[in-house]
Parts: sequence; C-alpha cells; structure tokens
Amino acid sequence: MLVPPHGGRLTDRQCEGLEAGKIIDQVKNGKLLTLNAREKNDLEMIGNGAMSPLEGFMTGSDYDSVLDLMHLSTGPLWSLPVVFASKEEDPDVSPGDHVGLKDIDGTIWGDMLVEDIFRADLIAEAEKSLGTNDDSHPGVMYLKSLSGEYIGGKIRSIRRRETESFGNYRLDPKETRVLFRARGWKTAVAFQTRNPIHRAHEYIQKCAMEIVDGLLLHPLVGETQEGDIPADVRMRCYEEILKDYYPRTRVAMSVFPAAMRYAGPKEAVFHAILRKNYGCSHFIVGRDHAGVGNFYGTYDAQMIFDQFDPDELGIVPLKFEHAFFCSKCGGMATPKTCAHDNEYHVFLSGKKVRAMLAEGILPPPEFTRPEIASILMEAARKGDN
Amino acid sequence: MKGLVIWIRTEEGSDEIILDRLGTEIEERGGRVEVFHSKAVENLGMEKNDKAKAIACAMLASHGVVVITSGADSPAIEPGEKLEVRIIEESDLSRTDVHDSFMRDLELAGLVPAPRYDVHPDEEKEILKKLQNLGYLDD
Repeated sequence: MLVPPHGGRLTDRQCEGLEAGKIIDQVKNGKLLTLNAREKNDLEMIGNGAMSPLEGFMTGSDYDSVLDLMHLSTGPLWSLPVVFASKEEDPDVSPGDHVGLKDIDGTIWGDMLVEDIFRADLIAEAEKSLGTNDDSHPGVMYLKSLSGEYIGGKIRSIRRRETESFGNYRLDPKETRVLFRARGWKTAVAFQTRNPIHRAHEYIQKCAMEIVDGLLLHPLVGETQEGDIPADVRMRCYEEILKDYYPRTRVAMSVFPAAMRYAGPKEAVFHAILRKNYGCSHFIVGRDHAGVGNFYGTYDAQMIFDQFDPDELGIVPLKFEHAFFCSKCGGMATPKTCAHDNEYHVFLSGKKVRAMLAEGILPPPEFTRPEIASILMEAARKGDN
Repeated sequence: MKGLVIWIRTEEGSDEIILDRLGTEIEERGGRVEVFHSKAVENLGMEKNDKAKAIACAMLASHGVVVITSGADSPAIEPGEKLEVRIIEESDLSRTDVHDSFMRDLELAGLVPAPRYDVHPDEEKEILKKLQNLGYLDD
C-alpha cells in the first residue's frame, strides 16, 4: 500500500472538457483576476491534488498559521504560504464573489469562490518563510513586487492539455499513484531537480534505489530564476541517460510543474509533502536543497526535517552529502564514504560547468556522462544555458 | 487515534437512520465506531436524558472510539487530551456539501480516517489506459 496523501486524501479540483467550458461561460463576463506565473503554477498544482489538502489559495487564518506554526489551521503540517495576490488592474472583489482567474494574456485558467481578503506584512512573510528580507534573494524580490493584499478561497483549475509543455510527462498525483501500483511499487523515492543530471545525481539516485522499489525523477519545470538551465535542456539530458543507464521498470519520469521559491529548508519540506501526494514514500534532500546564494546553511534543508514527527510528515527524507568521483577510490563517493583528500575528487560547480561549456570545453566524463555533456554543449552553442 | 463524540443535534423522536449511516461510513474507512442510540441509555440502566447520554458517550470515546449520538441540546462534555467533541445540526448533515466538509475537517484533525482509496476505482481503469498509451506501462 502506498503512503496516503497529505491530509488523508487527494483533492481534485481540476476540470476539463465540458465542465471546463461551463466554468469559462460562468466567469468570462464577470470579474476576472490576474494570475502571475507562480500563481498559475500553484493553481495547477492545487487543482491536480499535488498540494492536497489545499483546496484553494490560502485564507488569512491558514496564512498566519503556516507562517507562525508551520501548520494549516485545520491541522496538517505545511511550510510555505500558497497565496493569490490582488493586482492593480484587477476589479474590486468581496467575500462571496465568484471570480474567474486568467493569465496576463486573458486566458481563463480557473475560478475562485472568494472567502477572505486580507492585508499581509510582506517583510514579515519574507522573514518567516524565506528567513531573510534581503532584496538580493529572488523570493524576497518576488514578494516585494506584490501588492500586499491577498485573496483566498477555493478554486477550480482548468486543464488545457493542448498548451502544456512536456505533455507526455505531465502526470498528476493520482496518475503516479496508479502507475506505482501497476508496477508493484510499495515504496518510491522522488528526486527533485532544477539542474541537468550529472554523475553525482545519478550516484545519489541509485543509492536511494537500493532501498526502495522505484525512483520518480521529478524535474521541476515551473518558473525558475534566470541563469538556471532551461527545463527542455534538462529533460533532454534525462531522456538520454534513461536510455542506457537505468532499469526501465524501476524508474518513472514525470514533470513537477511547481515554481521555485528558493526558500531553502522550508521549501525542502514543501517539496517533500508534495511528493508524498504523488505517492512517494521517500524524498532525496541534498545539501542546500532549494537554496540560493549563501542564504541558507549547507545542512539547513536537511536538519529542518528533524523537528517533525515522522508520522506527521509521512514521507522519509533521505539526506545526502554532495557526491564526487574519487580517482583514488576509482568510483563515485561522498565525504561519508571516501577517505581521501579533495585533491583526488572531481567536483565542479554549476558556475564552473557553464563557464567550461561557454569556452567549448566538455566537462570530464567523471563529472558528466559524455552523452549529457554533448547535449549541454549543443544547448550552450544555441545560447540555451 | 484520539476519541471523538459526534453529537447530532436533533428534535426528539427524529429518525436515527442518519446516525447509522454516518457510523457505517466511518466504519468503512477503518474507524472504530459506536453508534449510541437514545435507547442505549435506558438499556444501560441510566436516566434517559442528554446529560446521562453525554457521560456514557464521553467514557466510550475516551478509549479512542468515534461515538455517534444525537440529542436536543448541546452535550455537557469537556473536550480534553483523550477526546474531542463535534456538534452538528441534523438538518445540516443531510446536505451533501455540509456533510462532506464536516467529514473533511474531522479527517484533517486526525479524528476519523480518510477514505481507503486515493483514486476512485472507476477512474483507476482510465488512468491505466492513459499510462499505457504514454508508454509508462506495457500493454
């Protein structure tokens, strides 16, 4: 039996076909609120159940409870706000209003029954959720671009498959759950990434695969910051490596349509909870997971899990050190398993890899498999990374 | 699991089928349930009033059981470490949306188990077909 969803059951607030058409007809001539890129990602993930037990954008009581207590007001553990900010161009709304949710191009993506409209102290939110109010943090920059007024209420999201990127890889939580069962997996580990796959990732994934039934490769394809390798390049890398280096029946790849918040430890918890909803029993947490710059300590994203009751969390964090090729060991290792000095270790930062690619130099095979290096080089030539 | 008394506020003499239905629903989810009909107080040799019923229900619930009962007034039961009390009007419980939201709140508070399946069995078949078409599963 797979792990139960967070809060006991998957919410399902996603519509398509005739039902979606009815929603559009109901709201198109009424009040329409504008979704930014993150809110659009969130809407999709509330709708498909990835953010269970959320049924909509948070009201003031959930928002306060999450920021102060890291729990929803109804009880379950939850680490980050999921909110909808009113925009300058939006019409005034009141509790009880049924409104449409559109993107900046005017396409309707769902609706919301407004329950609460509340002012937020965005500096306090930044400090409590991101641990900083420094303007150079991308999450702080995002918060400071908002109006400071949030609108909460239950949503329904509209699925528009024809416009989705990576359509063949877009599995909802209920679909990954059915997939795991069909493959006979009782346990599955999720690997979250916003970087191309290198040997270090492969090593960590395969270590984890030794103790569970299957691996869910779950690359994040929602909004990221400038400078991150584009999702299509990362997906090409994964497709390539899966051809020859992983047992087909023990790995599934699907995209994770969330936006990055760069909230470090709290986002690590957030990512873990969402993967639990996808049916995963384990979640790989690397060093500085979901971090940015030097805002978080190397192990903060791992240590935060120690404060929760394992039953309350419901998913097991697998905490990994950074991995490298050790020329003296003659294989991949981590500081936990290697007795040799750094001089024997092949380890390159993302920045260094990008610089090498820009100069037309392929990263060494001990760092990146040649097939992956070629894809990255081709993308670098085209200016994709 | 913490004990729970679900107290359905109702007019005296009203149909108690609603209690049984709720009891069956929670039992099917794997909960330990006791439906406490009005007559049970008499059968226990206690005085037939809401106060006596509340005492009996609280005692049962404090052993980790979900006790469902009804009464005309609010029960004189103090929630504590071992048990919670939830009161709902019978007329509200007959509305599907209120019933669903009431049950959902109990689930989220960890007082009753969620339904045993994560994907409805009918939907599971359609998903399997989709997964085959996408190449995740062999035919």
